[in-house]
Amino acid sequence: MTTVIEDFPDEPAVSPAATREAKDRRRAFLLLTPGVLWMVLFMLMPLVMVIYVSFWTQSTFAVEPTLTTASWERFLSSPTYLTAIGTTLKTWIIVLLATIVVGYPVALFIGLFVKNRTLQTALLVACVIPFWTSFLIRVIAWRPMLGTEGAINIILLKLGIVSEPLSFLLFSEFSVYVGMTQIYCVFMVGPITFMIARIDDSIIEAARDLGASFGTIFRRIVLPLSLPGVIVGTIFVSVMVLGEFATAASLSGRKVNLLGNIIVSQVGSLKWAFAAVAGVVLTVIITAVITLALRVVDIRKEM
Amino acid sequence: MQVGLLRPALALYAALFLLFLYGPMIVLAILSFQSQGGGPQFPIQEWSVYWYKHLLGLAETSRVSQLPVGDSLIRSLVLAFLTTVVSVTLGTMSAEAFRTRFKGSGPVFYLIILGMMVPGVLVGLGVALLSNFLDIGRAWWSTSFVLHVVYTFPFAFLVMLAIFNRFDRSVEEASLSLGVSPAQTFRRVTFPLIFPGVLSAMLFSFTLSYDEFSRTLFTAGADLTLPLAIYGTFSVEIYPNVFAFGVLTTLFSFTLLVIYGLLMKRFTRNKRFAGQEDA
Repeated sequence: MTTVIEDFPDEPAVSPAATREAKDRRRAFLLLTPGVLWMVLFMLMPLVMVIYVSFWTQSTFAVEPTLTTASWERFLSSPTYLTAIGTTLKTWIIVLLATIVVGYPVALFIGLFVKNRTLQTALLVACVIPFWTSFLIRVIAWRPMLGTEGAINIILLKLGIVSEPLSFLLFSEFSVYVGMTQIYCVFMVGPITFMIARIDDSIIEAARDLGASFGTIFRRIVLPLSLPGVIVGTIFVSVMVLGEFATAASLSGRKVNLLGNIIVSQVGSLKWAFAAVAGVVLTVIITAVITLALRVVDIRKEM
Repeated sequence: MQVGLLRPALALYAALFLLFLYGPMIVLAILSFQSQGGGPQFPIQEWSVYWYKHLLGLAETSRVSQLPVGDSLIRSLVLAFLTTVVSVTLGTMSAEAFRTRFKGSGPVFYLIILGMMVPGVLVGLGVALLSNFLDIGRAWWSTSFVLHVVYTFPFAFLVMLAIFNRFDRSVEEASLSLGVSPAQTFRRVTFPLIFPGVLSAMLFSFTLSYDEFSRTLFTAGADLTLPLAIYGTFSVEIYPNVFAFGVLTTLFSFTLLVIYGLLMKRFTRNKRFAGQEDA
């Protein structure tokens, strides 16, 4: 009898709720371990490796783990590579602006003007479906469109708008911008539509009742509330455009050399250290862009 | 208010936008029916399925070499399947863990999301360097596979997170406290609730991996996957056989989408019996 009574004061501190919480946390930890481990081993480690190898010594066909800044010096003093940084940034800005300008009105239409839910979903699905098809095929599909004997030139000639086929359409900077805008526009339209469709109709109604014109409603309500969507879209588009190389390789006729193209060509000639330097530069640029965008909006809250 | 005019204007704009999105694919599809003598552009000299035959190896030999689709197709399908299994498992486990509040959930969330954000050419380079350093051979089923999971696991995770956020844990607890075994509870309660998410996560993982290219480029070693085989034709002159391939692979992706839609529809029709509430 006495032992039973004595047993009790020993463990009053641990409440069942606390025990359960500790158990839950242990469970969460176990469940997360494989995923986190996978990401650390196969994503973070490789990225660290890129930084590490950028300081290795490059000989003609091999790299050796003797640390040097030679590759960096060569990269930063070479006009070819510096131009590639400039081209990458220029392409990024142009394509980003193009996706916003092209995509925003579409998002506005689907999100605000289509009131039928089914039609809204159907339109959104129509915008997203190309994402389901092969990226390379979508790139290559621009060749028969833009070529000198391509669909656009044929139409322009038939309509008598031009007398000679336009040659700047394909294998130029223009074709790269058009191709990228078409491919990445979806990632801008989606988030913006999502944010606009979420706007409470009664707010707009109230503004209208108080005599606000559409311009005012757009400027004071729709635009500010859709901005997080623009930022999320900007992050998606930026990351993808900055890491691009296939569109430029296929549509520019080697006239546009992005950092991604530099990496591919350097790996092709076994210049691993130079490829790594270009990789680090690319990482720095992308990190800066994302950090800047995340300052404006917290993605996790918007999900 | 000028909305009266704005609405049709925007509708017209949206229609033009869809034309912009689909136009190139439509042109590509039309040109895939070019005759043997015709080039990869208009005009169509004569409608034919010659390039489809050529693609499948049924045409008599020609000066255009056949696209290496056979083995690479099988590799891509196997790779997509493996990637789907692993990333849906990892995604479900991680999302389940996120139902509990824990310290460091922010960094872990961003670590996982980083997988879909980081450029493929960058991680591809990293994995190639790492495997060189560790003296591990590169192959589509090893180095490419781990990277495909890095890419698709975040998608599966986000989908499952959205599903878990929407359903109440007390449903499971009720079942357990009524004496239903954990296995039965999972089969009868949890699984029906998360099934739409699992299906979506599978669709994402499979298609993304099947079409994945930039992560595969440096990591696949000697044996090519389907997108790599197609990329190989980029540098040389293109022929309508690439267009024919594009049509077939697009049809394949759409078939997956339709299967997904049918499964989803069938499931949601039965959901009353599974006890799911609309969120």
